[in-house]
Amino acid sequence: MVAAADSDGALAGKGGAVTVRAPVPLFRKPSILPGFGLTLGFTLSYLGFIVLVPLAALIVRSSGLGWSGFWSAVTTPRVLAAFEVSFGLSFAAALTNAIFGFLVAWVLVRYDFPGKRLVDALVDLPFALPTAVAGIALSALYAPNGWLGKPLNELFGMKVAFTPLGIAIALTFIGLPFVVRTVQPILQDLPAEEEEAAASLGASRFQTFCSVILPAILPALVTGFALSFARGVGEYGSVIFIAGNMPGLTEILPLLIVIKLEQYDYAGAAAVGTAMLGVSFVMLLILNLLQQWMRSRHAR
Amino acid sequence: MPADTSITAPASIPVPPGRSALTEPTWVRALLIGGALLFLALFLLLPLVAVFAEALRRGFGAYWLALTEPDAVAAIELTLIVAAISVPANLLFGVAASWCVAKFDFRGKNLLITLIDLPFSVSPVISGLIYVLLFGMNGLFGSYLRDMGVQIIFAVPGLVLATIFVTFPFVARELIPLMQEQGSDEEEAALVLGASGWQTFWRVTIPNIKWGLLYGVLLCNARAMGEFGAVSVVSGHIRGETNTMPLHVEILYNEYNFVAAFAVASLLAMLALVTLVVKTALEWRFGDELAASRH
Amino acid sequence: MAIQVSGITKRFNDFTALDSVDLEVKSGELLALLGPSGSGKTTLLRIMAGLESPDGGSLLLNGEEALGLKPRDRQVGFVFQHYALFRHMTVFDNVAFGLKVRPRGERPGSAEIKRRVTELLELVQLSPFAGRYPAQLSGGQRQRVALARALAIEPKVLLLDEPFGALDAKVRKELRRWLRKLHDDIHITSVFVTHDQEEALELADRVVVMNQGRIEQIGTPAEVYDHPASAFVYEFLGQVNRFDCTVEGGIAHVGGGALAIPTQGGVQGPAVAYVRPHDLGVTPASAGPARISGIHVVGPDARIDIDLAGLSLEAEMDRERLATLGIAAGDRCAIHIDRARVFAR
Repeated sequence: MVAAADSDGALAGKGGAVTVRAPVPLFRKPSILPGFGLTLGFTLSYLGFIVLVPLAALIVRSSGLGWSGFWSAVTTPRVLAAFEVSFGLSFAAALTNAIFGFLVAWVLVRYDFPGKRLVDALVDLPFALPTAVAGIALSALYAPNGWLGKPLNELFGMKVAFTPLGIAIALTFIGLPFVVRTVQPILQDLPAEEEEAAASLGASRFQTFCSVILPAILPALVTGFALSFARGVGEYGSVIFIAGNMPGLTEILPLLIVIKLEQYDYAGAAAVGTAMLGVSFVMLLILNLLQQWMRSRHAR
Repeated sequence: MPADTSITAPASIPVPPGRSALTEPTWVRALLIGGALLFLALFLLLPLVAVFAEALRRGFGAYWLALTEPDAVAAIELTLIVAAISVPANLLFGVAASWCVAKFDFRGKNLLITLIDLPFSVSPVISGLIYVLLFGMNGLFGSYLRDMGVQIIFAVPGLVLATIFVTFPFVARELIPLMQEQGSDEEEAALVLGASGWQTFWRVTIPNIKWGLLYGVLLCNARAMGEFGAVSVVSGHIRGETNTMPLHVEILYNEYNFVAAFAVASLLAMLALVTLVVKTALEWRFGDELAASRH
Repeated sequence: MAIQVSGITKRFNDFTALDSVDLEVKSGELLALLGPSGSGKTTLLRIMAGLESPDGGSLLLNGEEALGLKPRDRQVGFVFQHYALFRHMTVFDNVAFGLKVRPRGERPGSAEIKRRVTELLELVQLSPFAGRYPAQLSGGQRQRVALARALAIEPKVLLLDEPFGALDAKVRKELRRWLRKLHDDIHITSVFVTHDQEEALELADRVVVMNQGRIEQIGTPAEVYDHPASAFVYEFLGQVNRFDCTVEGGIAHVGGGALAIPTQGGVQGPAVAYVRPHDLGVTPASAGPARISGIHVVGPDARIDIDLAGLSLEAEMDRERLATLGIAAGDRCAIHIDRARVFAR
């Protein structure tokens, strides 16, 4: 942030007795390019009307309940169970993605195989495919008579659709690109010399991986995990079709908000929404701190 | 705490040249590649294939019928209308925001950049909820709007607002790093050569950012047309009136009309595929000009 | 067109980039602003162009106050350090830009624009490259496109920011001569910024040496080189031996030794002396006060390291002269100073 702190610097001119007109910069560095006022004004008002004021309404509405009202609204057994489902399964999905996302990124960066560019492009599918489409496709696949649901059920007796496992699969689908796309560039920029040095010092390939590559990648992996996790907590469209939506078992937080809205319980919906934003924020903060700590340890 | 939805692929993936110390045994490589591909096939490819397979299960006739049915046509139209309003709005915002952020230095700039990214870290359902709390019947301005005879929630304005919210950062976050990287030299040169502000903007700035702009608009549009959670909250699900394509898919699916649901879904899946193809083409062809958004 | 700068001051936060600078650029001359980075030379140039506004002072272009004018109304041509060519336009369109953006009434017709651009491209010897994009040109070619583009608007003043800074040594020398010749042909008032003393001395009619936001000296290349006005200029321009000494009646006492030194203005007592290596003469003398500690031959020249009772000095001469003297490292010698500048300490 560059700011012109010129408040009392006017007398700083050494020796040369100069009468200095009070410099213009209040909070911006002067530039000859035009349009600053216009674009900043437009940006701030648009941001205010579309994002800030509505988000403030969420806080205002849930504060209308008072602290005790808020607390009892977000600690009913049904809400607590939804918290557990949403955060627990998002965590599991993010962990799966951390492992497989890393594998995919590794394969895409390090190896050559036919169709690689196609595969690389396909990784972004969950970003591009509307969540509702993903939701019905997954639930059709894993339904008891679906392409995957049927053999899983017959061979292993596993039920996927309408169980927590189904939710975890949908959240894995949604979160995969976050891990791949955060790890991939870091893996690509990793200097080969370090690995060669490790090899020349007698490390096995596996030792090199554990002691040289993994520590360098870990911060990015944690970022990807955090992004995937945060996305999972808020996800709605891809989950509700496969979830079954049984209160206390497979009911996710966003769905609970929708249900409260449909019952015209605006304050309750706002309270759950605020709590959800609050908990996500705290968890992301913790992950960010963790990541900073790791970065500082492995700073080059 | 960015939970963003548009981390993008690196422009190219150079494989480290075969340095013998840095390669794994062939069987390890085969295993890893096989594992990764199997995972991607199961988790990404199969759902995509399923959409088209289910849509065409009853043959092309039923597929076509499902797409030409009046409610489906209305949903397609509404989706196009919503995107046609929200994408240009966010385009305008994105250009304005990146101009003031990238070309000027001022106090509070980093805070502004963080706030622009904020909608990406909000759950889609909450994105819809906040507008219901403001403009819904029991909302802060609810009674006032009713007296005025204006309906926002359960109507097109609500859909547009929610869509603008969830697609808010796309263009701006693509352009800001790009314009920061390009600096202001060319604009200054144009001004010294006698160009006016508008001439500089149209003849120098816009040509320099056009591919980044297209890239941002592409991603913004894909999300605008495919958004489900946020619009679901504000729509009211009135068939033929406030149902966008994703909402129409939901209704059909819940009515066990699977062929119709997947037929409409297949259109959205095609939109996703086209988006991916154009996006990938842009990354291959203009990787350098998009490079600012990579890291 | 003449430029008069008076009392220009510019601060960035706590940093004073220009501290009440006065300067007059004469019509038709080629002036160099020379100084280390951070000396304020680029800021001064950008203020002349209208790319920055000063905090105080005045700028007269042809006798008229110009600080309130926008860059487009100042009739200046500006060549940017990294050229700032429009990357999406061909060479032709780059050069034509300034003409095409004129208001409708003043804009030349397309045939006229084509004629003028062609003429300019001939002038900078780039006619065959009209259809290329900047990315397809070498550094030197880009530089010339930038120059042609700046000249296209028929400016009254040409301002160049480190015009050769981004080029390699050989191209830099060629372009330097070419620019001097161009200036001799078109005689446009020109100011260029450089941190390279050789460039300033070779190219400019007058050199302005700047340091820490102030002007240290203004003069012809010979003046600033031969008669530096301050210790800073002495050290900044060319190689120099600098040593502390005590002067008593034309004799400088240095550590354990003493040598005759020509002083101006009768400096006496503690002083700092500056002697250019080629102003330091060496003669072999077996009982001389100094010792030759090393000889380095660099192309046609020779550099001789001398030790005078613990003080290291450097002398310079051509190779032939070295051969005539017949000295070698380790020999003792006598030294004498042909020319020096002494400042009281």
